[in-house]
Amino acid sequence: MRAMKKLLAHLKDRIAELGKSREEGRKVIGYIPGGYMPEEIALACKAIPIGWIHGGDYSMVELAEPYICHWMDTFCRAKIGYGVSGKDPYFNIMDLLVVPMTDNHIRAVMDVLAYNTDIDIFPYGVPHTKDDCAFAYYLDGLVRLKSRLEELTGVELTDSSLREAILLCNRERDLFRKISLMRKMGQVPLNSEDFVFLNHASFLAEKDLMVEVLESLYNELRAQEAPPQEDPRILLTGSTLALGDNKIHEIVKKAGGTIVIEEFAEGIRPYWENVNTDGNLMESLAECYFSRRVAPAWFRPGRERLDFLVKLAIEFNVSGVIWYHLMFRESYKIESYYFPEILRKQTGLPVIVVESDYSPNEMGSLQTRIEAFIEMVRE
Amino acid sequence: MDDYYDELLEVCGFTVEEIDQERYRIEKAFRKLELGPEDMARAVTWVSYNHDVELAGVRMMLGIWLKELIDLVLAKDEGKKLVYFGFPTIPGPAAAIAASTDELFCTSPETVLCYTMGQIFNKLTPILEEGENNGLPAGHGLCSLQQIRVGGMAKKIIPVPDLVLTSSYFCDMGSKTDELLHEKYAHPAVYVDGSMDSRWGEYPDYLPQRVDFLGAQIEKIFDQVKEVVGVEIGEEARYEGASRGHQIFSALSELVDLMKDADPQPISIVEAELARRLTNGSASRRVITEGPQAIRLLNQEVRKRVQNGMGISKKGAPRVMILMAHFSDPGIMHMIENAGLSIPVALHSVVQAKVRKRTPFISGEILAEREMGFGAFHGTYGFIRGAVDAIKTLNLDGVIWNYLYNCRPIAITSHLLKQVVEKETGIPVLSLEMDLYDSRSYSAEALRTRVEAFAEMLRVK
Repeated sequence: MRAMKKLLAHLKDRIAELGKSREEGRKVIGYIPGGYMPEEIALACKAIPIGWIHGGDYSMVELAEPYICHWMDTFCRAKIGYGVSGKDPYFNIMDLLVVPMTDNHIRAVMDVLAYNTDIDIFPYGVPHTKDDCAFAYYLDGLVRLKSRLEELTGVELTDSSLREAILLCNRERDLFRKISLMRKMGQVPLNSEDFVFLNHASFLAEKDLMVEVLESLYNELRAQEAPPQEDPRILLTGSTLALGDNKIHEIVKKAGGTIVIEEFAEGIRPYWENVNTDGNLMESLAECYFSRRVAPAWFRPGRERLDFLVKLAIEFNVSGVIWYHLMFRESYKIESYYFPEILRKQTGLPVIVVESDYSPNEMGSLQTRIEAFIEMVRE
Repeated sequence: MDDYYDELLEVCGFTVEEIDQERYRIEKAFRKLELGPEDMARAVTWVSYNHDVELAGVRMMLGIWLKELIDLVLAKDEGKKLVYFGFPTIPGPAAAIAASTDELFCTSPETVLCYTMGQIFNKLTPILEEGENNGLPAGHGLCSLQQIRVGGMAKKIIPVPDLVLTSSYFCDMGSKTDELLHEKYAHPAVYVDGSMDSRWGEYPDYLPQRVDFLGAQIEKIFDQVKEVVGVEIGEEARYEGASRGHQIFSALSELVDLMKDADPQPISIVEAELARRLTNGSASRRVITEGPQAIRLLNQEVRKRVQNGMGISKKGAPRVMILMAHFSDPGIMHMIENAGLSIPVALHSVVQAKVRKRTPFISGEILAEREMGFGAFHGTYGFIRGAVDAIKTLNLDGVIWNYLYNCRPIAITSHLLKQVVEKETGIPVLSLEMDLYDSRSYSAEALRTRVEAFAEMLRVK
């Protein structure tokens, strides 16, 4: 696929390119990739948004040990490891780290890095309910973020620049949605590894180029005849799927399963909803990113997401669900106890719950369990 | 005629008349709790060994907790509306709810179980195990306080409530556990939202929007209590709740003042924290009315000990501050004291006694502002700043930061507090990972070596 090659080449030079952009006066705005940071605000301020998306590396988890106890989420400990070690070029190049505060694990990342590194951090809250005052609080956070970015970049955000950025990001979401929905059919024109890679790449790539790549890819996929797909179709869901955390995909592929849809709180860009371009645009952003987004497990009550997973399982015609969360992310751990029964009652489908601490030692047991699961759903 | 439980109840401050009057209720509750003669004999030994039952104030506090347990277990049978709140964030509104009517029992059931099934009966393990088997498995760093709530309901020793008040701005797990329970029992819940999104260094300042948001969310509690339980929390209850709250905190504040400069340490931190937990571990009418009286009685006895130079530690023993005492196993704090350390205060008692200003009325806005002042609900920096400020004023030799590994807002401070305190004050900190509700894995024996080494280091310093 030509589009993919172009994207890979772009990412290869991305750090150098970002360095050059900074020299030219553009600011690099990093953010925690939990789906609550509207990149549109950064883009409208002529800054470059970068989702801090890397994970999956146990050595980074180990590097966090002198800074935080073991009992925090694995991805968050990895983030601390990346931050304090200076081993992540994307972290090193950020002018600001935006932290939409979803839960205590993300708060830990912010606090540890704030004390132990020189990174400039801008936090704002993501409430856990969807009532009017929660919406107002989230919106207020976005308005403060806008002011902070205007101050940092020296660029005043206008209605027109924001609308332009929204249209660009809407296009990206449209394309992700269209490509994802192609997997609803019997054929799977793009495998999950590639889809997830595209999604991860979109956190790092220049937005115009990313949209261009997605357009080309979508056209390529439409033109090609995908082979019929007979392997068990799997829904993969969980707390965080970071760039570099490929083991579940590898195991499922080896076991003869096909992941046809993914749903994650962190690491997968939400693409189901678009931002309205009428009326107050800041409100429209908050409405799309907060109110209309299917809420992750940190919301209370969190049934919306579980119902959405049932819907995805039916619509994507899956044979089973792999629930993959990282260690100590308690909101997901607790939901993993009662979701299987909800799914079973409504669809009869089975769920396997697997956990990871990014440790290489886990591979054996994960492989055995997932292989057995795929074997079971195949029957 | 004496029954198998009389001796224990007398040790716990019950009068003979009270026991006679309450026999039916006591026996009914103990049957539900599966507490028989053997449990009572063991409890007498356990309580006498671990608590300073010579002190009338201690006996009275133990009695309050035990009566609270009986009231809780029988609440539904006795026709009361039952409201559970989640520790540690909702006691403010709960005090107004408790003050509103006798027909409603408002408490944090897991705290009551810790202070009774743990502190008095040493029989918490079956409840914890039941929690582990019903959605909160062992080995995943899940909160054992929540395991106790889940286990208590699964074992049917605590009733299904009419309403749950739970928050998600401090603790992620409590409200998620309430969702788990809702899936099983379908009882309604009020989720009090908020956001601890302060940046490092922001405390004591805060965005007014935080108070607006949290205040509105707290007010939601009163609306829901009216809608779901049918009890209106009127102005009178809000005044009375505030007044009772003030009385209990004033009494606690006096105790903290008596303890913090005393040498030798007049009573164990176990007893001081028994008093402290009456301020936020439950909020029944009994606790808010009898609690201040019990703490004041204890204060009189402590004052006498201070005047007479009596205490439980050696004079001149190294002084350490802890985060909080163990909720269910008094043996752990005794182990620290037996290592030759004096624990004059626990952090939360000092901070809470300091920030708790008198307010004539309970409202969402007032409580939200108070939460901001209490650093732990402001953010990690506020939490640690509160500790540093306290440490600077307390003439301490060390800090044992006994953080809860399975409580994320506190676990965040595992290393940060040590870094900040040692840098800013030069006082050594032992960062001691433990569980403050369940002592099976973090027992006194498991922790002893580290504590003794730290004590040795402080003595030679």
